[in-house]
Amino acid sequence: MTSRALAWRTVTAERSRAVLAVAGVAVIGALLFDMLLLSRGLLVSFRQMLDTAGYDVRVVASEAFPIRSPIPEASPVAADVARLPEVRDVTIVRTDRALVLIQGRGPTEVELLNLTVGAERRVWRLTAGQDLGPRVRTKTSSSPAVISRGLAESLTLAPGSTFRLRVIVSGVASALPPATFEVIGIADFHFAAANEHAVATTFDAFQGVRGSTASDAADVILVASRPEVESASTVAAIERQRPDVRAYSNDEVVARFDENGFAYFRQISFVLSSITLGFAFLLVGTLLTVSVNQRLGQVAALRALGFPRRRIAAMLAWESAWLVGVGGLLSLPVGWALALQLDRILRQMPNISDELHFFVFEPRIAVWHLGLLAATGVAAAVYPVWIATRLPIAATLRLETVS
Amino acid sequence: MGRAARIFLPVAASCLIAAVITVRLPLPRVALQRASPERSDGGKPDTTYLKPDAAPLKPDTTHKTVLLSRQLMAEAGVNVGDVVTLAADANGTRGGTFLVAGMYEPVPDPRKFSAKRLEARLHLPDLIALTEDTNDPGSSDQVSALNLSLANKQDADAVASALARRVPGMTAASTSRPGGLDDPFAVLERFHEAIAIVTVTGSTAFLLALMVMRAEERREIIGILRLMGIRSRSILVEVLLEGLLIAVAGAIFGVLLAVAAQSLVNRFFQWRYDTTLVFVRVTTSIAWKAVAFAVPLGVVAGLAASWTLLRRSVVSLVRR
Repeated sequence: MTSRALAWRTVTAERSRAVLAVAGVAVIGALLFDMLLLSRGLLVSFRQMLDTAGYDVRVVASEAFPIRSPIPEASPVAADVARLPEVRDVTIVRTDRALVLIQGRGPTEVELLNLTVGAERRVWRLTAGQDLGPRVRTKTSSSPAVISRGLAESLTLAPGSTFRLRVIVSGVASALPPATFEVIGIADFHFAAANEHAVATTFDAFQGVRGSTASDAADVILVASRPEVESASTVAAIERQRPDVRAYSNDEVVARFDENGFAYFRQISFVLSSITLGFAFLLVGTLLTVSVNQRLGQVAALRALGFPRRRIAAMLAWESAWLVGVGGLLSLPVGWALALQLDRILRQMPNISDELHFFVFEPRIAVWHLGLLAATGVAAAVYPVWIATRLPIAATLRLETVS
Repeated sequence: MGRAARIFLPVAASCLIAAVITVRLPLPRVALQRASPERSDGGKPDTTYLKPDAAPLKPDTTHKTVLLSRQLMAEAGVNVGDVVTLAADANGTRGGTFLVAGMYEPVPDPRKFSAKRLEARLHLPDLIALTEDTNDPGSSDQVSALNLSLANKQDADAVASALARRVPGMTAASTSRPGGLDDPFAVLERFHEAIAIVTVTGSTAFLLALMVMRAEERREIIGILRLMGIRSRSILVEVLLEGLLIAVAGAIFGVLLAVAAQSLVNRFFQWRYDTTLVFVRVTTSIAWKAVAFAVPLGVVAGLAASWTLLRRSVVSLVRR
């Protein structure tokens, strides 16, 4: 009989013990899997979100990014950038905070948004009505607006409905009058948080409601490089052309967020992964050690029958492999189910985009997970193997007979 | 297997459960309470956080004085007594020279824990002189925020509403935790609780497996005791008391382990983020919660493992 078969028989002989051990490894392994997913989840998700819209470079006013700092004369900057041979597409993004006012209801805070005409489809997905564009017409004299689905549901608005909107001017007393908008479409905004409402409108309406028709400021200019051009080349070209602004590739944006905002979860992940691995090591090591101690007589008898030490060691290693292997494989679906729940909890944080996730699956994470569990299984088997192979055969057999 | 080891292993298992419940990784709630409203941004310099060798902010006849944060002094290589230039723009055109009167430790703020605290504290007239816009006369009388200390803290909402009515455009908000479902710290707390539940589930399986092995080891002894006429109920009480002792010892050891671990975890995160923020604090209530959870769990695991043996016939127990 091979060592593997002998180990299998030993494991299955004590079924309740084996089931509990596998369950323990599966749960602890699931936690380890989740912590590994968490270690890179936000970064991967954030990167995917940035790439979704198809822009690979962001132009901002200063190095203070992501702190909001408007680009003062955005249109000339965008025109200069668009002329560069590396650039395929340019979109100016203007945002502001505003309140939607509907009679009989309290004010609802929204993100007011304006994009360069033609870029709408990259930033939101229309679900009802018509989109903003050069030929957009409203039934009334009001300005057109595409609103987020959440806002439409909470205020029972539909295409054709009208509402008043007033921009929030923070820090000073403001007497800006509200403007009336007509809903022409309802959309899912890619970058909006679950609890955040958005209203998009035309440039003229955006300037009008802010009472600043002379201002050409923008929050960010999104740039798409030509397919054959690297983002870094586009960044360098933009900064050569316009030294008064800063350009960041998606890689740089992700690195900056990683440094400032996402490190916390990576640290938690590191600490909890370490604890979890230690836990799994203790679990398997203790079970194997106790199991070997209970079978000292059996091991001594096998040795007396001529079983070499390496076969005994192989048998115990296989026992560890069965427990950790089955538990480890089970931990993948259990871990994924758990990750969905933990992700749901963490996404309750304010201002988290619908498309941003804390736990994101990558094949290499699964490989890392199984590799770490395998290493833990091997390490946990070392001490029981040492006990079994160093056993004094005659003394152990005599002790077993006497007891 | 030695007797000490047989006792130690279940104790260790219970202790792990207690430790896992007790140590919930970075939970900045305690730190949030420390960063009290009176000491929030815009408040007066807080002497609690001044280094002992730091001079207090007082008017200087030759130089304006400034306090710099520890992190800024280290980053800029500045010492107390140096004269530095502070400017509102990168060119240094709208700036002035200041004497560094002292160094301070910024108030730990969980919302800023990942940011480098490069900060300075100036007298209000000096700050206004530095930042005012010469084209806007009103800017010489502007502040970012005013901190109010209410006679009755319960009036916070009423005061905020009254201010909003009297000064349109101004926002007034209570500094206490909002406590809503989407409060970041409440979300983190729920996350850590979920992690603790999962870990306890895994350790319970671990504990049960150990108890089953331990009970199996004593099968013949239990058989002999029953042959001698000792009733199952008496043996069960013995198992119960033994399990209770092991669980209590394990829980106490677990809490002690958590107390020792909190210092390591705090040191690691304080080093990583260069902050004095307290990330983990094992409070009495958390320790009691851990004990209250771990002890019954240990006892039930011991009983469950022994129950199957006690239900068997005496003959099968003594293998005859």
